[in-house]
Amino acid sequence: MTASTVAPDLPTPSPIAPRPATVGEIAPVPFWRAARAVFDLSLEGMVWSGRSVLVAVLLGLPVVLALLYRAVIVTRFHPNLSATTFYSVLIVFYYVANMVPLAALFYATALIADEVEGKTITYLLTRPIQRGAILVGKFAAYLATTVSLTLPPALLIFFLLATVRGWAGIGARVPDLFRDLGVLVLTLITYGAFFTLLGIVLRRPILPGLLFLFVWELLVHAPGYAPRLTITAYLRSLIPYQVPEEGFAALFQQVLPTALCLEAVGAMIVVFLAGAAWIFSTREYVLDQ
Amino acid sequence: MTSTLEYVRASRWYGPVIALNDVTTTVGPGVTGLLGPNGAGKSTFLKLAAGQLAPSQGEVRVLGKPAWGSPELFHRVGVCPETDAFWDGLTGLQFLMALLRLTGFDDGECRRRADHALEEVALTEARDRKIGGYSKGMRQRIKMAQSLAHDPQVLLLDEPLSGMDPVNRRRIVDLVKKLGREGRTVLVSSHILHEVEAMTRRVLLIHNGRILAEGDVREIRDLMDEHPHTVALRARDPRALARAVVGSPHVLSLTFGAEGEWVTVQTARPDEFYSSVVDAAVEAGVSEMYSPDENLESVFKYLVAR
Repeated sequence: MTASTVAPDLPTPSPIAPRPATVGEIAPVPFWRAARAVFDLSLEGMVWSGRSVLVAVLLGLPVVLALLYRAVIVTRFHPNLSATTFYSVLIVFYYVANMVPLAALFYATALIADEVEGKTITYLLTRPIQRGAILVGKFAAYLATTVSLTLPPALLIFFLLATVRGWAGIGARVPDLFRDLGVLVLTLITYGAFFTLLGIVLRRPILPGLLFLFVWELLVHAPGYAPRLTITAYLRSLIPYQVPEEGFAALFQQVLPTALCLEAVGAMIVVFLAGAAWIFSTREYVLDQ
Repeated sequence: MTSTLEYVRASRWYGPVIALNDVTTTVGPGVTGLLGPNGAGKSTFLKLAAGQLAPSQGEVRVLGKPAWGSPELFHRVGVCPETDAFWDGLTGLQFLMALLRLTGFDDGECRRRADHALEEVALTEARDRKIGGYSKGMRQRIKMAQSLAHDPQVLLLDEPLSGMDPVNRRRIVDLVKKLGREGRTVLVSSHILHEVEAMTRRVLLIHNGRILAEGDVREIRDLMDEHPHTVALRARDPRALARAVVGSPHVLSLTFGAEGEWVTVQTARPDEFYSSVVDAAVEAGVSEMYSPDENLESVFKYLVAR
């Protein structure tokens, strides 16, 4: 075999002569190049998995509801719930508050855990790459997968519900659409970062993750300052839709300032991902024999 | 001998269990066998050199650098893990290409190196089949291919012959010997003396986390000759295999396994037995072969008692 054609500057090994017993100045594969290689390796396995089928069904369900609303409910029952309100309920409560975090939980906790459980992590950890690059490549693959599963149905329900009364005025709502899609992506990044950290810290992160999503975030997201201890409050505040302000649901209509939300979400992403990278970089992955 | 692997008072424990105990040794170019019964500390010894574990005490250096926390070493180090784990959806070629990309090569170089490595382990024809459909022996060989595809100076091979049929076993033994002759440092672990002996005469004997002895395998071999060697073979036609080997002067006893596919042979002369069984193994469709380590365990007990 001959030497590499790329960066590491390895000398061409002689097939016979003994080589020097010390290693010269060699460096790990450049960070982004390594992250890209991990991304390529991870993406296909992530997209074509049973997990993706389940998440696609969960995230696609509102499309069916929007079709039903448009085709049956509006024409036959003339409901009080307007198409705009129905759309905001789907985006805020179904996607941002529940299903997108759930999708993040399923994927992000498994980024490293799947490799450890499948014992394939050895192959990744015995390459000349920084562990941070492994995490970044896998996180990018997670993001590509979940964004491709989340945005198309959200886009579809927007057009299905925004055009119930025709296409007039649709142009004026396009900025809102982009904002909603942006918040969905931000939700995937924020919860993805949190659950990546959880998946690296805990051996079995799914149950604690479910408890966080559906107990902690629900209980703490009550009036007062407590919602600031959740992730969901900051993300929901970025979509200030008017939803029915009656009954119990009205208690949850707290809107935090946009600047505060963006700062908090940005800080959370940095802290969670940096924490995950630090722990992953220093941890041993001893495989059971 | 210039050392490429250095263990300086290296210990490693898992909670209260000591896996490696105050080991000081060096390994230089050529093939070195790491020999010990199951649970002796072989995998820990290799994982410390592979930078997968940090020493609890002491130091482990590879090519002059600490093994733990030096990912750049893997430009020069290849690791063949013991675990039978793969991304099963990938073909053999895709598997090698992916790992070569992670070593920093561009696509053209990845392809060239992958093809060469596949050729080295005789998997060229199976390169486009998914690894999930590979036999145990093929999986062992593709693992071996990924460890050497980037042309490393140091190879750490954890039980590379485990579960291989006689033909492929011989192929890998020849390959390991060739890698050693090329001046690479090859550390290969096994719990089977005969396997190690086929690849090298230089051994490190490890037992209960300590290096018991290092040196020429023939000294161990003399002790070993007092003990019968057990070999289990899985064959498509076990009766044909039994007929072919039962008359051999090297065979002390032969029994059929409960599941009908396995034949267990005891021999006092493993070298001669392995040489004579190759043709019969091909005829009878032997797909797997292993050697239980009880007899090696008895040799170790003897060494410890001395």
